[in-house]
Amino acid sequence: MTELGTDFDLQETLADRRIVGLWRLMRGFRLIFLVATLSIGGAALARAGTYLLLGFYVDQVLVAEDAGRLLPWVALAFLALALAQGGATFLSGRLAAKTAEGIAKRTREYLFDHLQRLHFRYHDKARTGELVQRSTSDVDAIRRFFSDQALGASRIVLLLVVNLAVLINLNLRLALLSVVVVPITVAMSFFLFRRISEAYEAYQEQEATLSNRLQENLSGVRVVKAFARQEYERSKFDVENWEKFTRGRRVLRLHSVYWPLSDILSSFQLLFGLTIGALMAMDGTITIGAYITYAGMIFWIIWPIRNLGRLVVQMSAGLVSYGRVAEIIREQEEPLRLGEYEPTGPPAGEVTFEGVEFEYEAGSPVLRQIDLHVRPGQVIALLGPTGSGKSSLVNLLPRFYEYTGGSLKLDGVELNTYPRSYLRRHIGIVEQEPFLFSRTIRENIAYGAKHEVSQEQIEAAARAAAIHDVILTFSDGYDTLVGERGVTLSGGQKQRIAIARTLLADPQILILDDSTSSVDPETEVLIREALERLMQNRTSFVIAHRIQSLMGADLILVLDRGRVVQRGTHEELLEEGGLYLQIHDAQTRIEVELGKEMAGV
Amino acid sequence: MSDFGFEEEEFTTDFSGQTLWRILGLARPHWRWVLGFLFTIAVVSAVDSILTFITAKIIDDAILANDREALIRWVTLYAGLIFVSAAGVFGFIYLAGILGERIRYDMRRSLFNHLQELSLSYFDRTPVGWIISRVTSDTDRVAELVTWGLLDVTWGILNILTAMIFMVIINWRLALIVFAFLPVIVISAVEFRKRILTEFRLVRKINSKITGAFNESVTGVRVTKALGREEENLREFGGLTSDMFKAGYRAAWLSALFLPVVQLVSSFAIGAVVWFGGLEVLTGAMTIGGIQAFVSYILFMLWPIQEMARVYAEMQRALASGERVFSLMDSVPEISDKPDAFDPGSILGDIKFDHVDFHYKADSPILRDFSLSVERGETIALVGPTGGGKSTIVNLLARFYEPTGGVITIGGEDYTHFSLQAIHSRLGMVLQTPHLFSGTIRDNIRYGYLEADQSEVEQAAKIAGAHDFVVAMEEGYESEVGEGGVLLSVGQKQLISLARAVLADPEIFIMDEATSSVDTLTESLIQRGIEAMMTDRTSFIIAHRLSTIKRADRILVIREGQIAEMGSHLELLRLRGHYYRLYTQQFRRQLEKQYGVFGAPKPTPA
Repeated sequence: MTELGTDFDLQETLADRRIVGLWRLMRGFRLIFLVATLSIGGAALARAGTYLLLGFYVDQVLVAEDAGRLLPWVALAFLALALAQGGATFLSGRLAAKTAEGIAKRTREYLFDHLQRLHFRYHDKARTGELVQRSTSDVDAIRRFFSDQALGASRIVLLLVVNLAVLINLNLRLALLSVVVVPITVAMSFFLFRRISEAYEAYQEQEATLSNRLQENLSGVRVVKAFARQEYERSKFDVENWEKFTRGRRVLRLHSVYWPLSDILSSFQLLFGLTIGALMAMDGTITIGAYITYAGMIFWIIWPIRNLGRLVVQMSAGLVSYGRVAEIIREQEEPLRLGEYEPTGPPAGEVTFEGVEFEYEAGSPVLRQIDLHVRPGQVIALLGPTGSGKSSLVNLLPRFYEYTGGSLKLDGVELNTYPRSYLRRHIGIVEQEPFLFSRTIRENIAYGAKHEVSQEQIEAAARAAAIHDVILTFSDGYDTLVGERGVTLSGGQKQRIAIARTLLADPQILILDDSTSSVDPETEVLIREALERLMQNRTSFVIAHRIQSLMGADLILVLDRGRVVQRGTHEELLEEGGLYLQIHDAQTRIEVELGKEMAGV
Repeated sequence: MSDFGFEEEEFTTDFSGQTLWRILGLARPHWRWVLGFLFTIAVVSAVDSILTFITAKIIDDAILANDREALIRWVTLYAGLIFVSAAGVFGFIYLAGILGERIRYDMRRSLFNHLQELSLSYFDRTPVGWIISRVTSDTDRVAELVTWGLLDVTWGILNILTAMIFMVIINWRLALIVFAFLPVIVISAVEFRKRILTEFRLVRKINSKITGAFNESVTGVRVTKALGREEENLREFGGLTSDMFKAGYRAAWLSALFLPVVQLVSSFAIGAVVWFGGLEVLTGAMTIGGIQAFVSYILFMLWPIQEMARVYAEMQRALASGERVFSLMDSVPEISDKPDAFDPGSILGDIKFDHVDFHYKADSPILRDFSLSVERGETIALVGPTGGGKSTIVNLLARFYEPTGGVITIGGEDYTHFSLQAIHSRLGMVLQTPHLFSGTIRDNIRYGYLEADQSEVEQAAKIAGAHDFVVAMEEGYESEVGEGGVLLSVGQKQLISLARAVLADPEIFIMDEATSSVDTLTESLIQRGIEAMMTDRTSFIIAHRLSTIKRADRILVIREGQIAEMGSHLELLRLRGHYYRLYTQQFRRQLEKQYGVFGAPKPTPA
């Protein structure tokens, strides 16, 4: 039962109507859920049986000649019926739980995998908090839909059907007179619970407002204190707090109207039925035993029905949750393995751009007519202002985005015929602000490795990335957790761990964002050296922020508004003039000015 | 989602009478409501039992005796009681509910008020998420206990008691037999509930891990894709969902087992009634209506027993919540006014750090024997590496913390002799990551001086250099800044927080300059604002910008809790030491940006 996993593509479950989608989501569990529902019916039957037996006991046993001998058997029969009822109830609960938990597990796993396979374009726009919320709370709402609400509603309906059927057999007129109020109760409960759920939503919203207010106060605690604004904050919080009290009272008023009102309705129906039944028993239309049976069963029709509205309203909330989940499911994944050409070994690293074009949105090109030939092992530096297309250009290589025109080849083969998984296995990326996971440092370094790595290999990578010594200063060394529950790493430290991570993954092609903006001079040197070690014997694309890091490049591309405006080596470009020379001059001017500044000292 | 890793805490399972007592004490100011709902619930449970009794009477006195008048009599009584019961239901729902809301309100209010008093050190070591759960979910749970918990228990006890009384009235011998089953039912119910709760606790724990996994997976999706970790990630996640399935399934079927088991135990009691009651009927010691009443009483008793078991099981959780809430309420602010604290009227005087020691944790000192004299009106620039102690110095000066050794004097007087209000109300602070409150720009500037009118706000904004971009916005000063100021750029936020400080017209000005890049125009606006602030007051600036550094009267290079170098700009450059290195690096960076060499900032206004 744990092997459910992602046994089928949930995209197949999508339908125009949400209820149909939920039905399709039940695949593999429909039979179990059907048995669960039938079991509830069985339990209702056993309960009805108990009351019938009670009637029989009053009418037949207590007046029988050998009543004393029969009594233990009747008592035993009561036990047996209770056992049947309990067994059926348990069975339905257990099977419904299996259905609900199974569907939830399958959905969670699917969503998790689906999310990590969606296109970059999707993640560029999506909000983390919302995706997480949908994958957790909304999935849980779907789970409750199956385990509590659908089952609970079925239970109420089945109780009504079974008990009414038995009552009709007992006496048709009495049965019909006993349920006059049912439609009214149902209508009333639907009506009021819709109101209640609206009021409750408003109440919950205010709860969110309140905790936002608190959060804001707590994260701004320095400001509050620095301006001594405690009183002001108190009164602001109090307004929201009181508003919540008021909204809570509104919910309460609805409840305190509904329940007594439905109590009166149901109780009078009950009393009415009992009176009619009593009169019938008195004039002999029904037996006294039948009356007692009736008095017991009528309760199970009238009282549970009051909750039907609540369940149905909750079910509609479950449908809304499903709709939100379905929106994620509907998105298309990027096919990682799809591609005709997959060499067994790593690529040599020859990259050719021929008139490559790229646009995120039709009509606003980001890259235009890029031509470039890179031989294996070469270092290509990309230079240009923000928005010139540097990042977009390198993002095409691992097929994070698809080029929209021209031809881009790796080792002479068109890039989009390679499977994405192959490209990503052989292309390493070190970002400007690398993301580390809340795991140990060891796990973070080994994160990209394709096979088991030993502690020695991890340490070697850390040494090469000039982070080993830093790691040893932490109390748990390589087992130190990164992030909230562990150490907070500086930007430079994170970057070096990312370099170690990439070293261990050992890619043939490298993409580096050579930024050392927020580190002190000593660290800057360390990072630069680590990067140089990393680039050895690999085809490297470096997004450069500094002339020093360009000088060693085999080819420098100067980009401006999506075009390559200049190319060549450092010396050639200096010769050529243009934007590169301007940049270089600015850099030189800085040094000159610094010199001047210092001259006055 | 800052606190996803925040796992549900384990709590003590021993019954804490003191906490329970204190929780009940929360209802004391509203004792009328408590009395009200206790009374109404008593009425309702008594009526419940009476109605069952009447049903039996209808059988015996009316049907079996074929007495229509008796029927009318009982039915009339029943009808009357329906209204009594409904009134009672209305009363207890409303009163218990309103009491719950009120206790929530009270608790949150006093927690929030108390939080305003606590010292910064408390917030440094306590995650925001933790505090928020105390104020929200824990108060909820406590309020539930005082209201619905108390109500359910009262209802349960009274219901069982009245049922027992009527059973004794109908037939005391049979009643005794039934009573023998009661403890078994109660104990099995309670034990069951406890186990179910343990299972659900496990489910919640795994669930918070799943949330964490989703969160991290989405945030780190680029790395996952780049390293091709999808399958490995799914495999790891599969372990979590399998655990979740097992725990959830187990918890669910355990709860599904609960009711049947309790029912089964009670059906033994029913069997006994049928058997022995039947014998009693045969001897005429009991009526048929009596049998029917017994069966009804036993069946209906199950609900109160169930509810009480639930309350009992959940009570431990509520007690733990209560303990945490009270621990927050009882935490004492580390920095507070001394008994004879006074307001000196002004804090514009010479400031002296006299052999000051400071540590957050006893074994890792931040400042050691730190001494510094600052004349009134002087501008001090603090530079140096992260973690060197710059922020600690200004935090001490602002008396967010107090020295663990030595003294800080303002105008010759130990500043701990002053009231906190006296210091904080004369302080202006601009933080590195400027914090704005959701609301309008005007609200945020006015935070510095709540009584300020529009012209004063605008004046402050002009001085800080914020006015121009504010009026350029569609709604001007009425523009919403969004939660935490998300609708504004970093530079804009900094300008607003400068204006806020300007409006406060402080005697001591503290600023932690932002390192994040802003465009050149905004940068120069900020510069102008800072200059305006620096005149006529003592200023401490954690500086990153050259112009600010150079304009300071004195520059302090802080390294490892010590003053490594101190002096004017030129003096320090001549040293060719730390300051020289910092300065040249900063110089290159700043000019690179100024010339827009590499990656000029996007041309967004302000």
